[in-house]
Amino acid sequence: MRRVKAIEARGLTKRYEGVTALDDVDLSIDAGEFFGLVGPNGAGKTTLLRILTGQLAPTHGTARVLGIDPAREPLRVKAAIGIVPEVESPPSYLTAAEYLYFVGRVRDVPRLQDAIDRWIGFFDLDEARGTICRDLSKGTRQKLMLAAAFLHAPDLLFLDEPFINLDPIHQRRLKDFLLEYGAAGHTVFMCSHLLEIAEKLCDHVAVIDRGRVIAQGSVAAVRRDEKDLETAFLRLVGERR
Amino acid sequence: MSYLLKLMLTEEYRMHARYSSRRMFLAFPAFVGLFSFAIGATSARLLEVTPLGQAVLMLHVSAFLYGLGVGAFGFLGAQYLERRHGDRNYIVAMPALLPMSFRRTFLGMYLRDAIFYVALVLGPMALGLVASVPLTGFRITSIGFLFLAALLSFLLGMSLSFFVSTLYMRSRIAFAGAVAVICGAFAAHGLFRLVPIETLLPGLAMHYALPPFAPPGGAALIAGLAGLGLIAACVAGALVLVPDQYEPRSKPEGEELPGVDARLGIARGYRILLAKEFVDLKRSGTVAKMFFSFVTPLIFLSFTAWFVRTGLRAPVGFNSVFYGGMVGFFGVLLYNWLNSVDSMDYYATLPVGVPTVIRTKLLAFLVLTTGISTAFVVGVSALHGDVRLLWLALPVMFVTSVYMVVMTAYLTGLRTNSFLFDPAILAQFSVLAVLPDLGLTILSFTVDRDPVFTVAGISLVLAALAIATLFLYRGLDRKWAGSSFTE
Repeated sequence: MRRVKAIEARGLTKRYEGVTALDDVDLSIDAGEFFGLVGPNGAGKTTLLRILTGQLAPTHGTARVLGIDPAREPLRVKAAIGIVPEVESPPSYLTAAEYLYFVGRVRDVPRLQDAIDRWIGFFDLDEARGTICRDLSKGTRQKLMLAAAFLHAPDLLFLDEPFINLDPIHQRRLKDFLLEYGAAGHTVFMCSHLLEIAEKLCDHVAVIDRGRVIAQGSVAAVRRDEKDLETAFLRLVGERR
Repeated sequence: MSYLLKLMLTEEYRMHARYSSRRMFLAFPAFVGLFSFAIGATSARLLEVTPLGQAVLMLHVSAFLYGLGVGAFGFLGAQYLERRHGDRNYIVAMPALLPMSFRRTFLGMYLRDAIFYVALVLGPMALGLVASVPLTGFRITSIGFLFLAALLSFLLGMSLSFFVSTLYMRSRIAFAGAVAVICGAFAAHGLFRLVPIETLLPGLAMHYALPPFAPPGGAALIAGLAGLGLIAACVAGALVLVPDQYEPRSKPEGEELPGVDARLGIARGYRILLAKEFVDLKRSGTVAKMFFSFVTPLIFLSFTAWFVRTGLRAPVGFNSVFYGGMVGFFGVLLYNWLNSVDSMDYYATLPVGVPTVIRTKLLAFLVLTTGISTAFVVGVSALHGDVRLLWLALPVMFVTSVYMVVMTAYLTGLRTNSFLFDPAILAQFSVLAVLPDLGLTILSFTVDRDPVFTVAGISLVLAALAIATLFLYRGLDRKWAGSSFTE
């Protein structure tokens, strides 16, 4: 039986004033898959995530996310998904609780107060409730951005380095949540440098370097004969240097 | 210091150039030069209406006010240090990580902007006048003196603003006291003639003591040195006040947003976004900045009108209708402030488009300014005994305000300050802003001579502006739907 595709991309290319950030990328991610995009700094991971989430238009190529074209209908895509950006930048002058209220009202989340309380509790944000985001620590802002992305219980999550800045307790808590979330049939698209975490969580991975996908498939297929994903990554990327 | 300054200049240039193109950004000084050339070329006619001494006074007051606007590094620096620009960081914040002092980077900011605005505005202005020499016969030395004296007034404004804004970082009471003293000094001149304006603006005193007003001599030297001394004292005072370590003020806040949201039911689909704007404006202190940046030009305008009427004894009929048109013009400043409250990167992750946020800001503008603008026009009318024209002045004010702000939003989106450095946009803005305001101003002067003609003319202009507003408002989606919050 043919599985429903959560994300499909064909020939995605992005050029900025003479620089090719993304070069002819094809992707196919099934619904319910935990997909990891790994690559060195500046490889094009965030650019690809931003194109798929309707934040950036591609120079060439097409994509469909939950059946929606993000270049044509970015707001529909954003309504259907949850996004955690690379840089945690909630609005400076809202408190943590107010930001979640704001996101919930924009997304029309039912039983909003319950949802806010759930995620404030999950990420231990009680003390930050009345603090404006400008005064929060980097890690707390990251937790807030994660809570904001989970608030409306989307079917598809785009996470850009979600574990960076989190303490080990919340890293563990987030890992467990994401595994449960995936087991419930939801899809995760995650960019990460943390190959150990990616290897544990992901069903499929793609390795991107200098804007091109150089390997793609199940974790075992990408790893091939290497002992772990990190060694395979170093071989794959190292061969091109 | 020179290496740091070079880096800060590069940073400033790249920051501005990224919103348009390098070519367009670099065309800005050419635009200023061309404008200055045009002023020079038509100066014979202009000087028939305004004597050279008065024109020079206006130049210095403008340069001083411009400097005041540019030099508020205490406010700007605090914004940079608090990283209120999302994923962007600036060299001025580097002392938090590197073995260097905030005093050094703040001095760098001062020098950077002095160089930047000389290269962008004052230099091209002088060069434009030089280019007009074959037509005007101006002496190059006189233009050189004009440049130096105007630079002194500009730097004094910058330095004073630098000092007062850094004082704000230390103590709000001291800041209020300093502002009161400065306002008092200018009021002592404007209202009671207790202090000559040349004493307040040494650049002007220097200019009056140089050709073509007087042969160069000791008076110019003394005024110049006094000006330089004042500038050095303000900058030194500001640098002493810059803290060694920066710690943003932190205080717990109550949950205001749900309450404000509940009260804004009338705003329908924009309700939560508008509620957030109001909470932002209050907590960031932008409301006060907006108030001052709106009221200051209005006071300046009132002063100019008063000066033309009583100082120059020119028979110009400044009435309520004139003020109505002018108030609308200054709405652009407020829209710019609304876009400067905070970074908007977080919107990129939400199902909200740029046009929706622009419309929210327009709504916020209307709610915030309608009351102040109406109060100003009614107040000025009452002061001038001109209440009879309020029925016409208020619609003029309202239609012009809405048109100006919608037109600015259409042209510049959410980056007003940056896009107005793009000469192509600046040119469009100038035409779309100045032409209708000029029309309304001229018509307002004829209201007592031919009321029927004036009312018909003003009605026609207002109808055209209303239609243009509608088209521009509807065009927001087409123009800004594809743009990103983070690009």
